[in-house]
Order: sequence, then structure tokens, then C-alpha cells
Amino acid sequence: MKRRKVDVRAVPAKAANAVDDRFQVSTPLRRLLNKVFPDHWSFLLGEIALFSFIVLLLTGVFLTFFFEPALTEVIYNGSYAPLRGTHMTAAYASTLEISFDVRGGLIMRQMHHWAALLFMASIVVHMLRVFFTGAFRKPREVNWVIGSLLFWVGFLAGFTGYSLPDDGLSGTGLRIASAIMLSIPVIGSWVTSSIFGGEFPGDIIISRMFIAHVLLVPGLLVALISAHLGLVFKQKHTQWPGPGRTNDNVVGERMFPRYALKQGGFFMLVFGVIALMGGLMQINPVWLFGPYEAWVVSAASQPDWYVMFLDGSTRLMPAWEIVIPIGDGYVIPPLFWPTVVLPGILVGLSLAYPWLEARQTKDYRSHNLLQRPRDTPVRTALGAMAVTFFMVLTLTGANDVIAEKFFISLNAMTWAGRIGILLAPPLAYYLTYRICLGLQQHDREVLAHGVETGIIRRLPDGRFEEVHQPLSSGHGELEYTGWVVPKKMNRLGALGPAIKGFFYPIEKPVEAPVSPGHPPVEERPERSEISSDNR
Amino acid sequence: MSTHADTPADKAGGSPIDLDDPSLTRFDIVREGARLDDIEIVHYEPQFPVAGTKAERRVTRFVSFLFLLTGAAATAFLAIYIWWPWEYKLAAGPDKLYTPLLGLTLGVALLGIGFGILTWAKKLLPKEISIQARHDTSTPESRKIVGNTMLYMADELGVKRRPLLGASVLAGLLPVGAVAAAPLVGGLINNPHKNNQMMTTGFQPVDGKPVRLVREDGTPVRPDDISTGGQITVFPGIPHGVSNKHADSPTLLIHLRESDAEKARANNERNEHNRGYMWGNYIAYSKICTHAGCPASLYEQQTNLLLCPCHQSQFLITDNAKPVFGPASRRLPQLPIELDAEGFFVAKSDYTEAVGPDFWERP
Amino acid sequence: MTSDTPDAPRGDVASSGRGPGSRGRHGGLFARLRRRPSAVRSRGRRRLGAAVRLVAALMLAGGAYTVFAPGLQAQETNQLSAAAAEGKALFDVSCVSCHGSNLQGVEDRGPSLIGAGSAAVEFQVGTGRMPMARQEAQAERKPALFTSDQIRQLGQYVQEMGGGPQLPAGDDLAAGGDIAQGGQLYRVNCSQCHSFGGGGGALSSGKFAPNIRVATDRQIYAAMLTGPQNMPVFGDNQLTPDQKADIIAYINEALKEPNDPGGFNLGRYGPSTEGVAVFLVGIVALVFACLWIAGKS
Repeated sequence: MKRRKVDVRAVPAKAANAVDDRFQVSTPLRRLLNKVFPDHWSFLLGEIALFSFIVLLLTGVFLTFFFEPALTEVIYNGSYAPLRGTHMTAAYASTLEISFDVRGGLIMRQMHHWAALLFMASIVVHMLRVFFTGAFRKPREVNWVIGSLLFWVGFLAGFTGYSLPDDGLSGTGLRIASAIMLSIPVIGSWVTSSIFGGEFPGDIIISRMFIAHVLLVPGLLVALISAHLGLVFKQKHTQWPGPGRTNDNVVGERMFPRYALKQGGFFMLVFGVIALMGGLMQINPVWLFGPYEAWVVSAASQPDWYVMFLDGSTRLMPAWEIVIPIGDGYVIPPLFWPTVVLPGILVGLSLAYPWLEARQTKDYRSHNLLQRPRDTPVRTALGAMAVTFFMVLTLTGANDVIAEKFFISLNAMTWAGRIGILLAPPLAYYLTYRICLGLQQHDREVLAHGVETGIIRRLPDGRFEEVHQPLSSGHGELEYTGWVVPKKMNRLGALGPAIKGFFYPIEKPVEAPVSPGHPPVEERPERSEISSDNR
Repeated sequence: MSTHADTPADKAGGSPIDLDDPSLTRFDIVREGARLDDIEIVHYEPQFPVAGTKAERRVTRFVSFLFLLTGAAATAFLAIYIWWPWEYKLAAGPDKLYTPLLGLTLGVALLGIGFGILTWAKKLLPKEISIQARHDTSTPESRKIVGNTMLYMADELGVKRRPLLGASVLAGLLPVGAVAAAPLVGGLINNPHKNNQMMTTGFQPVDGKPVRLVREDGTPVRPDDISTGGQITVFPGIPHGVSNKHADSPTLLIHLRESDAEKARANNERNEHNRGYMWGNYIAYSKICTHAGCPASLYEQQTNLLLCPCHQSQFLITDNAKPVFGPASRRLPQLPIELDAEGFFVAKSDYTEAVGPDFWERP
Repeated sequence: MTSDTPDAPRGDVASSGRGPGSRGRHGGLFARLRRRPSAVRSRGRRRLGAAVRLVAALMLAGGAYTVFAPGLQAQETNQLSAAAAEGKALFDVSCVSCHGSNLQGVEDRGPSLIGAGSAAVEFQVGTGRMPMARQEAQAERKPALFTSDQIRQLGQYVQEMGGGPQLPAGDDLAAGGDIAQGGQLYRVNCSQCHSFGGGGGALSSGKFAPNIRVATDRQIYAAMLTGPQNMPVFGDNQLTPDQKADIIAYINEALKEPNDPGGFNLGRYGPSTEGVAVFLVGIVALVFACLWIAGKS
């Protein structure tokens, strides 16, 4: 029988042809392979969120195989001796089982929780980057809205997630959540009893939160993240101004191989950091909290950090209740304002911001170039104000821990928060605004007068002056173009091409550029030294 | 913009090249493809054009080392995972290191791959600068075409011509939308006031008999079980009284000092709700904070303040547990107590105010 | 007290050698002293002399009693034991200014210690809280001023003076304690002030529930029994000695030892330190990674 010769080397080509015959992937694939991405470290922050989300999905699947989302009462009989014989719910017992009786269960649980904290932290950091550089402006307002929604959906994911084990700490948080729902006027008691299936805690809330946490919320997250990334792909990423960059192009490197490898490597780094934290730093030790019992609470009870700002606003709110004396009398409890109205305002403000700012600055053009924070002092100062507001509230959420650790009166901490929340944000606004203006001024000063060389020269009449290296070759005025103005001599290449390394400067031969976007520096044929004889 | 490329650059959008030309290098074909995507590769430069230099070998060795480190760490992970003693024991022991070691090895393995790939990309791959045009505006023609197409489609539907159609569609579909939502909403809706549950707790007398106050283990409480200046958490002495099924019932029973008890009693008299609710020097308040429902349980026996740890509301026990600091605006409900024939504490009646966090229709 | 000189002439005794008109006349004084007194004396003088002799005799008796009788005590009826006597000596030096010489307390400074018991002394003095450094919201634990023997003596003194709760003997008060029961009791009774990890918590206006992980078995037992400062009292009818042993066993085995299976426990403060850690460790590390990956353009 004649053996068919198989040419191994032709197999990839044949396979590719087969695929292309059926799906016509060649052109789209080429477009994907060639797509140009700009390169800046701050553009990678959103990917921390993306990669932590993938880790959440992977570890989460593991956990769903062992967790029992039921409030049925059981008696614990596992490895953790201090809880043996205790009555608890199946949800709590299964969490203990994952932690102590499943090989490697504890590290999966911890990685899952650290990844959740990192997910939210990186969303906040990424959002701040987008805000302070103006990347949310037209045409990217919708992406900003999707991103803001991602924060709140992530918030929901985290809240339902850490409430699943039904431990003392998260159960208390759930109690507070039911009180928050209760405080809504007119419909509050109906909302609470509908969600809990009766009076708190009911029998069904863990099962409902489980479905929300593993199906509904992740589904929504995947949809939103896909839309978010899809928009970035379609609209192309923004870029910093600089040499060769305009509003109509993207300067960077093509996707394959370098950029894709960087993405893959970064994914591994994020995963590695989560693994290290998950193994080396204990998080959410539910066995110490005990099962949730409505009469038990621990000092220093806080929610996870991304919810802590609401805890803070609740602690600061004065006891102002509104009584409506109609009929039997109706009341709006003080809990309503800091936990329902305030988040509502924050969500509304953040979603509407791109349009609010466009209206205010009357700027309706499309922007693909970023702005340095100092160039938009109002926006930067507003952002600093928002961050300060958030920080005061978050720190207040932990004010009993701070009071105990640093021996400060608890009552004084509350008052400090009440006063701080009113005084600190405007102060931050003012300071940031002035700093931005100062930085802008310095940029223009250097453009006009040149870089300080540090060389002092004495004039014949006895005056001392510093020699400045002008930045323009002619006598014309240099215009500020929205990018970094070099302020040190080594940035100009005057002292030899000191290409900045990471921790210490690395001198390299003159031909090679440091990174895409930085034009290569050519050595001038005659290098005149700057000395005290020269002007 | 520099033109420091190794080969002469074709401007993007320039004339296409002949792909069958045998003198073309592979890079020329790549560049042609980029041109088709409006990309101009303006700078492309291998980091190690001369093969085999010492620098290149050093970087390659470093990357290989990182990958091998990954393999070693991954193997260590597997070994620890399988053979390290992991079963939890209360005392200190090697099992406490199981999770940290797993985390360490897994972390090193992942960081190894990460750094390896990144070093490869940063140090071994050619550096390039490419510029892609954005083309992110639609032409007016395409907008006109699509706009007109949609308007024509609307005309074809003929809703304008036949207004009855449009009106009936709306009128008919609206209820259908509600039908889709009805089972979910209807199924979830739960009347909060059935059995008057928001105004009753487990202390409601059963068949006219007052309910005993019991400890967490179910045993009833006598007055001399609590020392002066002491406090105990009590529950209704009914089936499942000590469980989350009666999460609104936990009560704090406090034995006040004589002078404090007199003050408390006098203030009780002044309040139309709490007259006569104390028994001797014993006073009982709901443990469920009226702010957000946490157990308000930090009793300071000298100041007679009850602090809730969640949001730091403070209630003055000697004055009807009214809030004196913090966000709570409603005093804690007081439980009327007395002794039964056998000398155990019972609740004379249920709480006469709603227990727990405030709500809109609270009378 | 003027001393008698039996040789002083009658009628002249009160003046102790200084008689009317005797000033400046030295020769006259000695001569008169040597001279035998005249037989005739006034009735008043005689009576005065008798009175003076009576007073002198009483004084002699009283002085002898004072010198030779055992020391006076605040409690006239009981005798203190030897240990309590030592304790009293310590008490009178270090505690009287705030707690009063009769342990009755001093207004705005220190409460009465009648009924406090040796358990309270062992707790307060043993943890160094007493003597208090200054009047403040709450006494703080500091190095104990007294040795354990001295503390025992002080406790004995307070116990004998006013009675009160006493600790059982022995150093290991957790023997036979059921840690599961103890955990349940701890969570209901203790964790709201001392936190789930035993690290303590803030109370109102500068007061706080301290870290119990540094306390000995006896100190924990004593605190439960006596309810120091603002801590409620957990008498033996409310938490029986067995239940107290359960709680102490739980604290010893689950809380004191840092046997955390998940790695470094971040202080057992809960989500607040976890949030700090994710930023300080996770985000910082990854931002450095971003800087390295992309470089600065």
C-alpha cells in the first residue's frame, strides 16, 4: 500500500487555509495583529482590574464546588476545634470546611478575597487615572459610564460575596443592609421583607445572594467588561501628546509580538501578586468571627474597604430624623441620608460628569490626546476634592480602630470626621488648584527662559547670574504643547545621553531610543562644553 | 519624527507593492499589511542585530533562569500540596505553614513566568515605533444613506399612515411587558406587616402566659444571678427563642446600682411608655440598636452608657435609653419585667414600641 | 509636758525653778532651792499642788502606756493578719491619697474599696493599673509597681478590711475548660468590647477595653469577677467558675497563640488593615510593575 507522504511543515499552512475557507479570518486577524497601542505605564492600571477579575472567576469556580448556600442549621463537626459542637448554618459550616478540611481550600478562599479587594482597588486607581488625564471626554463618555457602573456592580459582587459565609462580621453587615433598605420612605419595609422573604434574617437570603453572586452579577460584569474593552478597541486608546502624536493618530507599537507578550507577562505578575498575598497574608478569618447570631457583635466591625466609605458616612450623620405628623405619624430615619441619598448622588455625579464638564468648558470636540493634570486645574482640584472626601469617609469607617490603636477618644474621632468632611475637601480643592497653577507657570517659565544649568557666572559689574540653556534654537517663543517640558540638563542630552534606567541612570550608546515615542538622540558632531566662558 | 529605520520606509497610504515580487523580504510583506491598516512602521530596530554578543547571551540566560525558576517553584508547589501535613490542629505546628508555602511557591512560579515573558519582550524583541491613523469619523455620505434608509423603513412600516396600528401596538404591548415582570416581582413581594410581625417579638405572651427571660443555654434567670453592675443577654423562653428566628428579641438585662436605679426609675415615670417597667434595680432594654440593628451591647457600668460598636451610638440607660451621641435618633425600647411565682424573670408583656431600626410607618 | 522634779519646793513647782522675783538673782534662786521650805503655806497653793500631782500622775501613766502598748489601728475590733499588716503598710504609702485611710474612697479621686476584694487588687495592681499615673478617662496597664508577694499582701489587707470576691488558688485557671463552649461565651459576653481577636476596642470618650491577649489567667478571671472600671461584673452566679474556665481556655488556645493558618494575620483588626494592605502591598507592587513594563515615555 502506498503510504501517503505527510509534509509536516505544510500542516500549519493547510490548517490556516482550512479555517480561512470557512470563516474568512485573514483580514480581521491581520488587523488585530497589527493594531497599534500606545505605551505608557498608567495605561496598564485598568488591566490590573481585568486580570484580577479573571483570577476571581477561576478561584470562584473552585469555591462553588464546595460552598453550600443554605441557612439550614447544622452542628459543626470538622477540624476546627474551637467551633466543634456549635450550632451554625450550612453556609458557615461549608466555609469552615473549605478553610480547614479541603486540601488547599484556604488559599483558594484567600486568593479569591484578595483578588476581590485588588479588583476594586485597581478600578479606583484606573478611574482616577482616566479622570485626571481627561480620557473620559468625547468620544469616550459612554465608556466612562460603563466604567462607573463597573465600580458599583463590583461593589455589589463584593458585598454579596463576603456575606455568603454567614459569619458574624458579614451577618452584621447584612443586618445593616436590611436597616438601610428599611429606611427608604414609603416602600422601605416592603423592599426589605421582599428581599429577605420576611423579617430579618429569614431563611432564603443566602441562597438569593448566592445566585446573584455567581450568576447574575458576574454575567453583568462580563457583559460590561466586554463592552468596555470593545469600546477601547474600536475607539483606540488615548495617548499623551508628544513628538509625532496628533489627535488623529496613535503612536506606539503593534500588538504582536511585543505588546501581547507584555500583556501576558503582566497577567502573570498580577496573578503572582494575588497568589503571594493569598498565601502569606491572612484575610477574612471567619472562624474567629463565629457564626452570625443576631445578639453577637465584635468591636471593630467594618465592611470591606470599598464599602467602608458608606460606613463612615453613617457614623458621621447626626441624629436628625424627619417626622411627618400626618395620621399615625411617619418618619424618615437619619440612616436614609448617608446610605441611600449620598450613594445616589455620588453615582449620579460620576455618571454625568463628562457631560457636566463639557457643558462647563463649552468643549464639544473629540479628544484623543490626554491632558496633563496641571493643565486643567479645575478638574484636577475637583478630583482632589473628591478623593479627600472619599478618604475622610473611609477613614471614619475605621474610626474605632484608629481610636483604639492611637488612644484617641472615640467621640473626638466622630467630631473630627464631622468637621473634616466639611473642611478638608474645600481645602484640598484650593491647595490643588494653586499647585496646578504653579506648575503651569513653571513650565512656561522654563520654555521662555531655558533650563537652569546650575552654573553661576559673575558679570563684570559684580552681579551673579545663573546660566540658562535655552530650549529653542532661534529667538522665537516656544509654545507649550501639552507635554512634559524638560527641566533638567540630562533630559536634553547635554551631559551625555543619560538614558534613565529604573533605579539608576544607565548610559547607553547614542543611537538606540529608550522607548517608543522618545525620539532617538543623535550625537552632535562637535560637542561644545558648557562652561563659564560660554554664553 | 525620526527616520532612523534600517530599511527605507514607505509612507502609509503610498502605492501598493507587488506581493509576488521575489525580491521582497518578509518584513516588506509585513509592512505592506500594516500599510493596508493605515499603519506606518517608522522605526524598527532589533536590540541585538549582531547575534551572539555577550550582552545578548546574558539576557537570554537570565530569561531562561526565570523560566527554570518557574518550573522549580511549580514543582515545589505540587510537592508541598501533596505531601506537606495540612490537616488543621489547634496548636502551633507545620500545618500552619501549608497555606503560606503554597502561596509562596505559586507566587514565585507565576512571577517567574511573568518576569520571564516581560524581560523577553522588553530586552530581546525589536523596538519599534508605529503610527496608526485613527479614521474615527464617519463620512457625511454614510450618515445620509443610513438616515434615509431608516426613515424609508419607517415609512414602509406605514405606522404614520395607519395610526390605529401604532396606537394598538403600544396599548397591547404595555401589559405584556408587565406580564414579563409580574412573576418575579409578584413572587418576591412579601407583606412586611403580616401577623403584625414588625411590632411583635418573641416576648409576646403565649396564651396569656408571660414569657420567661432565659439565658443563651435556655435556663431561666433569677435576680441574684446578676451582680450589681452586671449585665446579661436574655432571650424569650419559647421554642427557637435563642436563634436568628427571633432576631428582634435579644434583650439586655442590667442590674443597676441603687443610686442609678433610682434615677432610672424616676426617668421611667416621666416617660409615658416606660412607667413601671423596672423590677427592683433591674432594667431590661432591647439589644437591637434602633439605628441600624447591630446588637448595642457595650455596657459601661460606671457611666451607664450603652455603646453600639457599629456606628458609635450611645444610649443612656438611666434615662429611658435615650440616644446621647451618634447617629441613632430613637431610644431603645424597654421590656417590662417582673418575677413569676417561682422567682424567675418574666416579661410582663411584649415590647410596647417597635424594636430595631426605624422605618417609615413606625407609629 | 513639764517634768517634775521631786526636789522642787512646794508651791514653787509650777514655776520650775523660776519663782516670782527670782529673775536676775541667781544666788537667791539656788539659795532658795537649798533652803528648806517654810511650814506655813496657803490653801490655794496646797490645792494647786495636788492638782498638779494628779495631772503628773496621769501623764506618767498615759505616757508609759503610749510607749509600751501595741500600735493603734483604724479598726478597733479585729487584728490584721501578718500579710494584711504588710499590705496595710504598702497601702498607706501608695493608695491612701485616693482611696482614703479607711478605704472609704476620696471624692473625685478614687472609689471606695469596701467590698472590692482581693481579686480586684490582684487585677488592678497586678496589671500595673494601680497606682494610677494620673487622673484620666481610664487606667492603663503598665509595669506593676509591686512584686507578686506585695500584691498578695495588699489584696489580703483589702479583703480583711472590707471583704469581696476572691480568686481561686492556682495559676492555671483554665484547666478542664471546654474551648468550644468558651468560644460561644466569649462571643456573646466579651467580643463586643474586646473584639473577636481579643485585641481590645474603643469605648466612649477616651475609654477602651484593653487587649486581653497580654493578661494572665488570674488577671482575666479577676477582671470578669470584679468588673474593673467600666467593665460589667460577671459574678459567679452569672458565669460559673467552670464557664469562666471555658472562656479562659478559649482565650489561651484560640486567641493568644498566633496560630493563624492563613499566614500573617495583619493584627486581627479585620477589614480595615486588609484594605490598607491591598493598597500598600498589592497596588504599590503592581504600579511599580507597570512602571517597569512600559517605561516612562
